[in-house]
Amino acid sequence: MSVLTLRERTRKTAAGASGGARRWSSRLTGVAFVLPAVALFLLMGVYTIASGLALSFAKWNGFTPRWIWVGVRNYLDLLYADPVLAAELRRAAGHTLQVMVAVPLLTVAIALPLAVALNSVGRLRAVFRTVYFLPYVTTGIAVYFAWRYVLEPDGAVNLLLRATGLGSLAQPQGFLGNPSTALPTLIVVLVWSSVPVATLLYLSGLQAIDPNLPEAAQLDGAAPRHVLRHVTWPLLRPITAAIVLLGIRDALHGFQVFLVMTRGGPGGHSDVLGLMAYRLSFFKGLAQTLGLASALGWLLFAAALLLTLVNARLLRAVR
Amino acid sequence: MSGSRTARLLAYAGLAGYALVSLYPFLWMVSGAFKDRLEILRGGGLIPEAPTLATLTSTWSRLHFFDYFLNSLKVTGLTVAGVLVVYSLASYAFAVLDFPGRRALFWMFVSLLFVPGITMLLPVVVLEKHLGILGTHLGLVLPFVNGTAPLTVLLLTNSFRAVPGELRDAARCDGAGDLRIYLSVYLPLARPAHVTVAVLTAVPTWNEYLLSRVSLSDPSRYTLPIGLESLISSEVPRYNEVMAASLIIVLPVVALFLFLQRYFVNGLVGALKG
Repeated sequence: MSVLTLRERTRKTAAGASGGARRWSSRLTGVAFVLPAVALFLLMGVYTIASGLALSFAKWNGFTPRWIWVGVRNYLDLLYADPVLAAELRRAAGHTLQVMVAVPLLTVAIALPLAVALNSVGRLRAVFRTVYFLPYVTTGIAVYFAWRYVLEPDGAVNLLLRATGLGSLAQPQGFLGNPSTALPTLIVVLVWSSVPVATLLYLSGLQAIDPNLPEAAQLDGAAPRHVLRHVTWPLLRPITAAIVLLGIRDALHGFQVFLVMTRGGPGGHSDVLGLMAYRLSFFKGLAQTLGLASALGWLLFAAALLLTLVNARLLRAVR
Repeated sequence: MSGSRTARLLAYAGLAGYALVSLYPFLWMVSGAFKDRLEILRGGGLIPEAPTLATLTSTWSRLHFFDYFLNSLKVTGLTVAGVLVVYSLASYAFAVLDFPGRRALFWMFVSLLFVPGITMLLPVVVLEKHLGILGTHLGLVLPFVNGTAPLTVLLLTNSFRAVPGELRDAARCDGAGDLRIYLSVYLPLARPAHVTVAVLTAVPTWNEYLLSRVSLSDPSRYTLPIGLESLISSEVPRYNEVMAASLIIVLPVVALFLFLQRYFVNGLVGALKG
């Protein structure tokens, strides 16, 4: 076998030395391998991105044959020029900001202790991990409807509160029907669905830590909580950063929970930016809001990019 | 020593407590799916007083969830197949072949990760209306496949790079072309990464709601999430049927997860570290 390959190899090099023909054919092979991906990308990626960007500078309702070019008016209208739209945007941005801060914070606050506990137990670890992971794999409309069901006025959560003597906390209109509890309730649901991945990441981070380090600290007389604070937590910082980054991205991009569970209601009290863009895109009938929707989409893109860059810069500074 | 025992007890208590939180909506989903119409209206406890399979069977057949199930299976299957074929070939090229614009193309695919879905959604719908595929299953599969590009290309390119280059040289010398080398050397070695990509594609596709909702208008083409949505849009939703339908959506995903758990876990950790 090795003799044969050796002989083949010499023959091949002799033939290949003759010219660039082989290099050309290998380049063509490369192009042929990426061709389907690139074709799809040109159609579904480049074309849609370009046309979406163009549309953000026009007015259109999706039915008339022509777009009316308006320059940057859509962006200005959204940001301040149109009092109704700008107020709607500001309210949605405020809610988005609350989600962006609260969800990563609460997720870290729950997932880290959970991962530490999970890492410390020997038995049942696999079982707990599987159970914790369910909210992630099932994320979607089915689970959100289940949440809606338990949060109904006569739903399980109110039932539980009344049965345990916490009836004063129960919500007679349902947790999603009360303007002051709708957004916090949705934040809880979002935290519930983002804890699985965060716990998993922390667990893998904890398992990658050299077990001698915490042990050495403990031998030097450090209490367990000090070990956690001064040894483990700094070592897990990159993972915390990843979780926060994911949370921020989801807060800006994600709005499915809001669409399925409240549609931004009651009375806009749980409206977020993504949902506003979706509404401008698909729920406005013949009104010319598609350009506005595109512009809002690009504002979201810019915000996400900016936050990612700031975050990367901060991370580098910390390191 | 007793201090560490208390700590362990506390750890178990905390873990069990959160396990309940994690399972909470699922418990009520199962409970609701086994209640009949009268009992669901009365509310009542977690354990149904007169558990019945009738709600599930009527949702499955009378409310056409069997048809929606087949549609979902078709869309998910085609999407996974498309992703595996298209991006596996491309990733092989990115990882081992040399061609003009290789780096630029690779980063173009990956940078798509930063474009929010909502920014793409409207132009995709407009484009599909022009092409006449809006509302068809093809009109769902194409953007779904394209949407997985960033993560898939990252994961598969990394897995192909991990294959030792000597194997390719040796196969070359035996006279194998690149397609042959890809199929018989690289693909088998990178199989775990492909399974990971398949499960990480299948689950979100199965649950997809935003594009499906604005494109599917013909009930005979509904996927499961849209079928479920049509149940709740009536004035007074019958929560036992809604929960039965939800259970039908969730069960296959849970089964897939239980069988292929390690691929989910490796994939997520790998994707976020990459």
